[in-house]
Amino acid sequence: MKRESLVFDRPGELQATEPPEARGIERDEVRLLVSTPEGHQHAHFRDLPNFLREGDVLVVNRSATIPASLKAQGKVGEFTLNLSTHYGRNLWLTEPRWDADRPGPLPIDPGDEIELPGTRARIVAPYPGLPALWFVQAEKSLWGSMGCCGSPIRYGYVDQQLPLDAYQTIFAAHPGSAEMPSAARPFTYRVLRALRKKGVILASLVLHTGVSSQEVEEEDIEEHTLYPEPFHVPYLTASVVNKALRENRRVIAVGTTVVRALEAAWNGEEVRPSGGFTRIYVHPGRGIHTVHGLITGLHDPVTSHLAMLSALAGEKMIREAYEEAVREEYLWHEFGDSHLILTR
Amino acid sequence: MSRVVLITGASKGLGFTLASFLAGQGYDLVITARRENELNAAAEKLRSAGIIVTALAGDVADPAHRRALVEAAQKLGQLELLVNSASILGPAPMPTLTEFPLDELRRVFEVNLIAPIALVQETLPLLKSSKGLVINLSSDAARGAYETWGGYGSSKAALELASLTLANELEEHGVSVVTVDPGDMRTEMAEIAFEGDVEDRPLPEVTLPFWAWLLGQDRMAVSGQRYEAQSEQWEIAS
Repeated sequence: MKRESLVFDRPGELQATEPPEARGIERDEVRLLVSTPEGHQHAHFRDLPNFLREGDVLVVNRSATIPASLKAQGKVGEFTLNLSTHYGRNLWLTEPRWDADRPGPLPIDPGDEIELPGTRARIVAPYPGLPALWFVQAEKSLWGSMGCCGSPIRYGYVDQQLPLDAYQTIFAAHPGSAEMPSAARPFTYRVLRALRKKGVILASLVLHTGVSSQEVEEEDIEEHTLYPEPFHVPYLTASVVNKALRENRRVIAVGTTVVRALEAAWNGEEVRPSGGFTRIYVHPGRGIHTVHGLITGLHDPVTSHLAMLSALAGEKMIREAYEEAVREEYLWHEFGDSHLILTR
Repeated sequence: MSRVVLITGASKGLGFTLASFLAGQGYDLVITARRENELNAAAEKLRSAGIIVTALAGDVADPAHRRALVEAAQKLGQLELLVNSASILGPAPMPTLTEFPLDELRRVFEVNLIAPIALVQETLPLLKSSKGLVINLSSDAARGAYETWGGYGSSKAALELASLTLANELEEHGVSVVTVDPGDMRTEMAEIAFEGDVEDRPLPEVTLPFWAWLLGQDRMAVSGQRYEAQSEQWEIAS
């Protein structure tokens, strides 16, 4: 797939700069674009059960968002250290930035000592192929630093610092995501009750998201580097998904993280219970084997997420859907509107 | 007490990349390689991370040299990791197995198979007390049966089985053993094997995320596994 096929024009104002609650509506009252092979419809997230049927399996991510943004002090002065992924033993992949509005690169080098809340740390090495990301070894646990002094990662398009709760989904149970697995943000208990009444089955897994993916710069998008993320697909979820696949029922992922985890667990025949780190890159050349639908937000141009959407539903359906979303002025980003893609 | 890593073949290539990464995480190092100048230069660079490095040039197939390495590790602190990275290809250009000089073949097995096993035997008391991890570097040649790679490949295949066996034997002692295939890289060894044609291969730094991951895991969760450092996925026993 070529880079140009992920390019589209999103007007700058079509982005949510605050949560729907701040705009006077409930989480489940954001808009829902429904894309199927028959065409595109406009609804609200509360209407989700109307588009699903008995026996559909919804797979959700139970990862919770962590207050991963820390103030740091180093030879460059004060800066922001956004934690992306814990590799174990106080070693983290991180994104050093000036602040929410200004990314790096910062003039830092391996061996630099930095001060974080409650501990010192040392810059170890850049991530190969992704020079904005650095491995950092802390002397003490950074969970303590986050607990006292961390805040949720925020980028410039969100006006103000919001409490961590604004970044949790109803399914959040296992802390570890640097950024909210935001596809599930519009789910509320009234939506869950309606889904249960309908006979929709819920299964869960964990994938901890790292910091926002970088724009694809390579001409062939398959060349783009993705870094790995921790995942765990439990036995029960693998069984439920495999049974649905055998019985020709639909499996619908809530979030691109769920697609990534299920594809990581796919062995060519079925979904295996599995866990570890995966950097699987789901693009049209690779295909998707485990899901028939996806609930997700609206993704920016030239991101790897768009390649995943095309892998699921084909380039044409996604392009039309995004034209529709721009025309109807849907809102992008983690506090924005929602998109249900069904391939059958 | 200081945490120590013993790493063979550490002056260049993958061994040096891993040594630098470990130095950045604060481990003290005992490093070895055959060529003294290169080894000392590597040690100088590693010391800039503010850690202690003992550099002993020599041949891992030499029992006296191995004894010196183990003593040096013991003196520095608690040996937590043994990395068997030193290995040789044998004659260049690489001969077919039918024409492989047998003395050379014995030498390949001495360095690539016997020496790593010997180092496990000799460091075992230290590894038992630290509940340490042994990392044996292998290659896809251990499985590929590529023509002219038979000497190196069969020594690595044997090392892989030895690693698995050691993982089983040492489980009750809390010592873990993994095999790592680092994948294609631009190293001196690749240059020899492919006669200079290595420009399109990534530098050994491409394996850093894997080492970061491996060293962060509970060691018993990875023991007995074979990992490909450049693969899409690294899984733990579950």
